[in-house]
Amino acid sequence: MSDSGDAQVIEIEGLLNTVGAGHVLHRDLALKVRRDEVLALVGGSGSGKSQLLRVMLGLKQPQAGTVRVFGVSWSDPKWKRVRDARRRMGMLFQNGALYSALSVYENVAFPLRERGGLPEDEIRAIVHSKLAQVELDPSRGALLPANLSGGMVKRVALARALALSPELLILDEPTAGLDPDRTTRFVQLIKRLREEQRFAVVMVTHDLHPLYELTDRVAVLAEQHIIACDTIPAVRRMGHPFIQNFFGPERRRAADAG
Amino acid sequence: MFEEAALEIEIAAHGPVRTRVRASGSWTFEGLKTRRNDLARRLAELEREPPERIAWDLTGIAQLDDSGAVWLARALRSAQRVEASPRLRILLNQAGEALQLPGAKRRPPDPLSIPVQIGEMALEFGRHLRDAAIRLGLIAIRAAELLRRPRDFPFRELSAGVFRSGVTALPVTMLVGFLVGIVLTYLSALQLKRYGADLLVINIVGVGVVRELGPMLASIIAAGRSGSAITAQLGVMRVTEEIEALSVMGISINARLVLPKVISLAIALPLVTFCTDLAALGGALLVSKITLGISPGAFLEALPRAVEVVNFWIGIGKSAVFGFAVAFVACHFGLRVLPNTESLASGVTRSVVAAITTVIVLDAAFAILLRNVG
Repeated sequence: MSDSGDAQVIEIEGLLNTVGAGHVLHRDLALKVRRDEVLALVGGSGSGKSQLLRVMLGLKQPQAGTVRVFGVSWSDPKWKRVRDARRRMGMLFQNGALYSALSVYENVAFPLRERGGLPEDEIRAIVHSKLAQVELDPSRGALLPANLSGGMVKRVALARALALSPELLILDEPTAGLDPDRTTRFVQLIKRLREEQRFAVVMVTHDLHPLYELTDRVAVLAEQHIIACDTIPAVRRMGHPFIQNFFGPERRRAADAG
Repeated sequence: MFEEAALEIEIAAHGPVRTRVRASGSWTFEGLKTRRNDLARRLAELEREPPERIAWDLTGIAQLDDSGAVWLARALRSAQRVEASPRLRILLNQAGEALQLPGAKRRPPDPLSIPVQIGEMALEFGRHLRDAAIRLGLIAIRAAELLRRPRDFPFRELSAGVFRSGVTALPVTMLVGFLVGIVLTYLSALQLKRYGADLLVINIVGVGVVRELGPMLASIIAAGRSGSAITAQLGVMRVTEEIEALSVMGISINARLVLPKVISLAIALPLVTFCTDLAALGGALLVSKITLGISPGAFLEALPRAVEVVNFWIGIGKSAVFGFAVAFVACHFGLRVLPNTESLASGVTRSVVAAITTVIVLDAAFAILLRNVG
């Protein structure tokens, strides 16, 4: 890859994104995600965090502006370039989005098999190591997603997202639906995996706990664009009402208690 | 547990305040139940008087919920003389404010709504055609790419699809074929007997089954069985974000999901049609023997002479196209499902209807194109 030396993994510029009958969600939005950093995307309900994530993932075509991931635009006519860029990123959906017809093992093996070029015994070794990395017993591999608890679904989905050893991991509400104890463990898990594997992380979250534990920078989405993108202390010094409210003393205390 | 809601009304002979109203008991949904009509009538009477001339004593109310508050607030209007506890006042004020809010306005019927709807349906139909054309093109491109690298083709999905939409469809399709063969032969035999043209039944039923009915029956049943299953499967995958997960992994939906489905049904349906033909001809053979006394040996001997073999190949070829069309239409509708249950339900319905319609339209096209053949 010629662009592997670039400092940015995601570059968004001049983004115009509408939903429905022309309701503008993002206007003139710019965001850069650096290699090896953890960036959290926060914003109020309805501010379009999930839609921004969809645009980032290339699941939605914006009206205007450029979105480049690893220097590749999702609308690149060479679909192999797009596919190769996709293989360098992993995505953890909020509800896991595991393939419900496939077992845990097959879910994690799926991206490896699709990429091709690996014999089955090597795939098995990788799948078992990925399951162990997310603290799942490989003997659970035969279970179907319907038989897993919410926390296990998240961990299997994380193992699948990490299957191709991505350079960028995108997390949509990684701790939503987990109890405080599991939240802590999941955050520690991501922290440890990141120290081992050095991937960049973009995550959407409402939860202050992963924010303080994991993130290098926070991007605040409000008023149709990114109003701030900096370290947590720098962002907290800003006077914007959403920021004051989001990082307010009460929520901070709740996060510490949690 | 609770007392019934009660209302006492005193009317004074003179003075600025003519009416004194005392409400007591449980002004709740339960408490208002038994004397509902009576209370409603008396409150409606009070509403006819100017509000400033009524004095209200609500201190006797033991319980008040939202339905009681709405009843009272409607009668109170802007009354000034109200005795009530502060808690009651809050509820009454809330109910009074809520009564002031305008309800959802019903839009007057648009005189042009029917032409507008027809126009919108036409636009929607155009969008479907455009999207289907794009998808067809993408499938062709992906198929061409897979021809160069056949090892990447999802053969497991292909064989599973042939089994699901072919082998498991045989019992029902063959049964229907057998019964249709019986009915068709019986009806034709009744007519032909009158003219003494008994043996023509083999021509009529033979050509009809092999060229038209076999492929049509098989594809209509495939639209109901496999088509609905494909649409529902893709729709649920959309709802559970599995489609998104595939896209994010850089896996082509068209190559991975659509292509094996359309090819497997295009392979399976001719095979199913062949078995349906056999079953229908079996039914015809049986009825010919019973009603016309044509022996099975004579039937089988006359069949190849009556039905040119090209008719058989036309039927088989058509069913391959129908199979492709049914699966393609099912995939098209399945991938358009939005992540909600309503859209899933309507997607499946529309998919089956559209698949059957497409098959019939294609059949008509084949009938015109091949009118001089066979």
